[in-house]
Amino acid sequence: MGNAKQTIARRAAQELRDGQIINLGIGLPTMIANYVPAGIDVVIQTENGGIGVGPAPAPGCEDRDRANAGNQPITLVAGGSYFDSATSFAMIRGGHVDSTFLGTLQVDEEGNIANWIVPGGLLAGMGGAMDLVTGAKIVHIVTEHCARDGSSKLMQRCTFPLTGANEADVIITERAVLRRFAHRGWVLEEVAAGYSLADIAACTELAYTVADDVKLDAFGADEAAAEKAARSVLGL
Amino acid sequence: MSIAIGGFIGQGDPLTLIDYLKTMDVGDLTVYENDAGYRDRGTVELVNQGKVKKIVASHVGTTPDIAKAMNEGRLEVEATPQGTLAEMLRCGGAGLGGFLTPTGIGTIAEEGKQIVELNGRPFILVPAARCDIALVRAHRGDTWGNLIFRGTSRNFNVPAAMCADYVIAEVENLYTMGELDPEAIHTSGIFVDAVVRANVSYCTVRDEPLEAAARSK
Repeated sequence: MGNAKQTIARRAAQELRDGQIINLGIGLPTMIANYVPAGIDVVIQTENGGIGVGPAPAPGCEDRDRANAGNQPITLVAGGSYFDSATSFAMIRGGHVDSTFLGTLQVDEEGNIANWIVPGGLLAGMGGAMDLVTGAKIVHIVTEHCARDGSSKLMQRCTFPLTGANEADVIITERAVLRRFAHRGWVLEEVAAGYSLADIAACTELAYTVADDVKLDAFGADEAAAEKAARSVLGL
Repeated sequence: MSIAIGGFIGQGDPLTLIDYLKTMDVGDLTVYENDAGYRDRGTVELVNQGKVKKIVASHVGTTPDIAKAMNEGRLEVEATPQGTLAEMLRCGGAGLGGFLTPTGIGTIAEEGKQIVELNGRPFILVPAARCDIALVRAHRGDTWGNLIFRGTSRNFNVPAAMCADYVIAEVENLYTMGELDPEAIHTSGIFVDAVVRANVSYCTVRDEPLEAAARSK
């Protein structure tokens, strides 16, 4: 589903609150910056040592000393600054970052997150993810609902080594939004266009309850329509 | 021998010093660095030469040869959370024995480590890292070793410059003492033992255009 990532990024951006300091993981989470709603002003921290990350520089204006943690060229907005890695993680671990958005391999019923290594796979390393899930006040997991083999990433219990225990607060996929509460556990709050409550139940292994005011067709309509149009053009 | 190396996947990597290390007859190195460089440049080159036995890093995914070296049993990688690694180096330079971090509780990062409960919350006790040598790179430096970094190239260069018995800085722009603004120094020369000029082709911004510098000589 080619538009899944856009759907997720667009919906994730709706979580942003004015004035928040946020950190976006590499890949899909970085796309969230493209969908910040009008009237919402957020400050983006990048863990390699910058705060106030702005738009990408114009072609030809890239600077090797101004890049994000994924090595993409950046600019800083007014008020931004640079700092060293020990200071950057003082910000992150110290609870000064309001919210982080990270992709994952697995997330489970207890809010455990596994996003850095597949057993038997190649080791890349956790980078700053363990510090981010520990230190950020709200941890948003932004991920496609299922892995490539079709199995649910929203599991009863993570089987891969954890990035953080009991840290996930919100899960945003192309199909649904779930939020975790201290006593109720995971609550299904929104279902995307093109999916039913039964669809979500069929592709979700972690236990959850459905919110009384669950929103159906809550998001993803634009992408679903675009996908449908594209498929009809292709004669599929 | 242990070496701390500054930089972050190419941002502020001390490539001039790494190039020099490539020509030296050294081996059995333990490297403390955020990563192993970017693509085929950086510490990964020392690994390919067989000089490195172990890397303590947060992420080695930007240098494909590292995976190969690990699979062939030529290299040990100790994956360490990025903030923990930065603080290990900072503490090593600050004379602290170690520190307590909440990062990694309930994960394999706590394996083999002591857990300390403080105010009802568990922390991992992480020993500081004190290294024999550190290699860093700065935008500006003076002959006493005062350093000024530029943009996101500050990163691990600051904690790396603190943590070693002998610290070598390569600088893009070299000044005599007194030329740099004392208010603007990021790393005091007290931490730095030697300063060399960075290879011009690795410099991002020269304070003075090269042609002008050549003319004035």
